[in-house]
Amino acid sequence: MNSVIGLVVWIVFYPLIAFTVGVFLGGYGRKFTARVQRRVGPSWIQPFFDVIKLMRKRTNISHGYMHDISLMMLVSGTMLSLYFIPVPGFHYFSQFGDFVVIIYLLLIPSLGMALGVGETANPNGSIGISRALQMLFGYEVPFVLTFIGMAMLNGTTSMYELVQIQQSGGIATWGIVTHPLLGIAALFALQGMMNEKPFEVIIAPHEIATGPMTEMGGKYMGMMFIQHLINLFVELTIYANLFLGGAKNWFELLFKLFVLFTLILSVNSVFGRFRTDDAMRFMWKIPLPLAAIGVVGIMLGIG
Amino acid sequence: MEKTITQRSAWDKVLTKLQKRSLWMLHYCTGCGAVELPPTMTARFDMERFGIMPMVTPRQADILLITGYLSVKTLKRVVLIYEQMQSPKYVVGFGSCTINGGMYWNSYATIKSLDQYIPVEFYLAGCMPRPEAIIEGFTELIDRIGEGKANSWEDYYKNYEFYRKNQEHVFGTIDTRTDIPDDAKYFKIGEVEK
Repeated sequence: MNSVIGLVVWIVFYPLIAFTVGVFLGGYGRKFTARVQRRVGPSWIQPFFDVIKLMRKRTNISHGYMHDISLMMLVSGTMLSLYFIPVPGFHYFSQFGDFVVIIYLLLIPSLGMALGVGETANPNGSIGISRALQMLFGYEVPFVLTFIGMAMLNGTTSMYELVQIQQSGGIATWGIVTHPLLGIAALFALQGMMNEKPFEVIIAPHEIATGPMTEMGGKYMGMMFIQHLINLFVELTIYANLFLGGAKNWFELLFKLFVLFTLILSVNSVFGRFRTDDAMRFMWKIPLPLAAIGVVGIMLGIG
Repeated sequence: MEKTITQRSAWDKVLTKLQKRSLWMLHYCTGCGAVELPPTMTARFDMERFGIMPMVTPRQADILLITGYLSVKTLKRVVLIYEQMQSPKYVVGFGSCTINGGMYWNSYATIKSLDQYIPVEFYLAGCMPRPEAIIEGFTELIDRIGEGKANSWEDYYKNYEFYRKNQEHVFGTIDTRTDIPDDAKYFKIGEVEK
């Protein structure tokens, strides 16, 4: 009975925790970029102020039924994938869904966005969506390959078991140490997945006016903001679980997310933006062969 | 007797305090005043520490910054942009050109006073205002939002006839694709006959 109550508490509070962590990560990201540019930067919880501001907008312009539904797909897809990711203290759902399920659920937000933005009929939005789906091919293929490598070696597709195996022998059994090729390939893919520069082709503010979000305002934009913040947590935690040995407690997990995000932000703040075809070319020239070599190495028993 | 604070208004007050920390700005840069914006945003003065960020689409913007003179043609675009923005929204007239025409007073092609066409929250005087003045103005705006006094956008719904008449006098009738009287009913602001 006690475990049931604990489970319910986790189900209710887990998205809130992810959102809070996302707020601090997002605020840290903006502060970090500002400091690199020698500015003071906004508050540490600036994304929280933005969400409140957007949710308190009085006008909400709907472009139709699909436009409204798409936001539900957006947020629910991210929330569902969140539940399947094991974190310290909560891995109940990871026994029902392995990594394949998470990859599948992570696609739902992109598709939902595509449907909703299609209805707004804004040319900038359509360009943004075509870029988003194109970039999906860019980063998803190396990312899935790296996971196939990890699954082949450890003989499991469950993320929780992967974490357990990696934690058994300290740093020496971490994915990034045992398979540096896969770890580095996934790091490139993560940069694209998180839509940071140089792969920031989807939002591209001064080029296509924030892309898919062009027609989104008020509460619509607020929902997208919330999804974005939860997504920060989701994507970083997936990488930490696969290659950085997961975490035994929340302090360790947050520290790993912080370090990983700092690495990504450092690349983000010194690079310009690739063109879409350049970004694709890069993704299929560097991370994909790296991941493929890594997988072949594991098949031959070298890695 | 002092007015009692109901739960609702107390909650509103808290949210307004949080809300004022985030303002997204759409800058409509026709005139020379736009030169003063890059230093305001970048390292020297850093507007982002107040939570003010440049934003590129009218749907997401809170502030519409009109930097400089408006010709008859560009006024039409400004009105279209203004009506696409989502309330609450604040228009800031930047530089003397928006106040009284400035050095374009004698021009046949520019409008003289911006507040005849759309409600203006406040003006930044000067030709052109320095970054210090811009930041001074925006902190004033932030304070007014926090106190719940920045309500100039409601004026467009209350006095739509007046603004519409002035606009049509300049550029004739256009279809802005925004039903202002209907929106006024939605906001429960005033009674607009039309």
